[in-house]
Amino acid sequence: MADPNKVDPIHQFGLTNIFSLGGEGGFAFTNSALFMVLTVGLIVIFLLGSTAGRRLVPGRAQVVSELLYDFVANMVKGAAGSEGMKFFPFVFSLFMFVLMANMFGMIPFFFTTTSHIIVPAALAILVFVVVIGYGLYRNGFKFFKLFVPAGVPGYVLPIVVPIEVVSFLSRPISLSVRLFANILAGHITLKVFAGFIYSLGSLGVLGFLGASLPLIMTVAITALEFLVAALQAYVFAVLTSMYINDAIHPSH
Amino acid sequence: MPKPQDTEGQPDSAKGVTRDLASRIASAQRERNVEANRASNMSPSDMSGMARGMRIGTEFIAAILVGAGLGYLVDLGLGTRPWGLLILLLVGFAAGILNVIRVVTQMNKAAPPPPGSDLGSSADDEDDN
Repeated sequence: MADPNKVDPIHQFGLTNIFSLGGEGGFAFTNSALFMVLTVGLIVIFLLGSTAGRRLVPGRAQVVSELLYDFVANMVKGAAGSEGMKFFPFVFSLFMFVLMANMFGMIPFFFTTTSHIIVPAALAILVFVVVIGYGLYRNGFKFFKLFVPAGVPGYVLPIVVPIEVVSFLSRPISLSVRLFANILAGHITLKVFAGFIYSLGSLGVLGFLGASLPLIMTVAITALEFLVAALQAYVFAVLTSMYINDAIHPSH
Repeated sequence: MPKPQDTEGQPDSAKGVTRDLASRIASAQRERNVEANRASNMSPSDMSGMARGMRIGTEFIAAILVGAGLGYLVDLGLGTRPWGLLILLLVGFAAGILNVIRVVTQMNKAAPPPPGSDLGSSADDEDDN
């Protein structure tokens, strides 16, 4: 915070340049990039470390990674069938990245990479490139049946097809905006309530008593935010596997 | 778990433990295949109310935004100033409604008897059925 007497809930989202390659306008390594690298690094270290000494009777770390595997595997199988398991590594990577990035953001003074729309948007675009690419590769021209619902009479098609196309195109946006908005809103709410504690606390004894209310709120919202962080990662992964299901079976 | 059913040509000499294990593996595999064959039965039904609202809201808004954006681009490209935006905005609105209907259908299908997690939807169900 620039001014210590001012509560600034947006400050946490500011990007700062750590170092840049190629001078001005070149590749800038920001705090967001740093935390993305840390997220990926932590995931890799944890998963490799917990599965390094594989045993039939797993240890604690191994149980955690097995549970994560099972959870995502069941999700993919449930949403996209056993054929969708081809995409398990993809969905698992997305799930782990979003989950870890969200959880990293819950640690005080850490940067939340998913609170900038560009990160979820890049992930959502990646999902859509994969869905469209695989759909065309597997089904060829039949992939476009996705836009023509079965059993619709021919004369309504000029209206229905544009609607379906727009509905399809809206998916990457809703996918990314949902994640971004949840995380952004949650973190701002958290900071605003925490700011109330500070402002009320500086009003003397009565304010001090009043400040306990936002303090309780802040604790509650922190718990809620942990839930949201896990839930949004889950939602992102479930929707990804549902869209992959569309690519595999392109008919409603 | 359904028990015995001695399957897949187990030699009789095999010990009881092994035979039991083989039948259990077979039944587990059968269960797994059944699971795998029914697709898209799973959806985020066990979400909190806030997440549910968020999901429906973004589906709706995103479609409208895409419609408006496409309309704007069409206008920019073809020079048909108000019409592309107007028509595609309406199409986007329709697509938003469609998205919402799909999401809600899916949510309802995923949880036929709501497991007491959400007051709103369980009250709705009592009214409907």
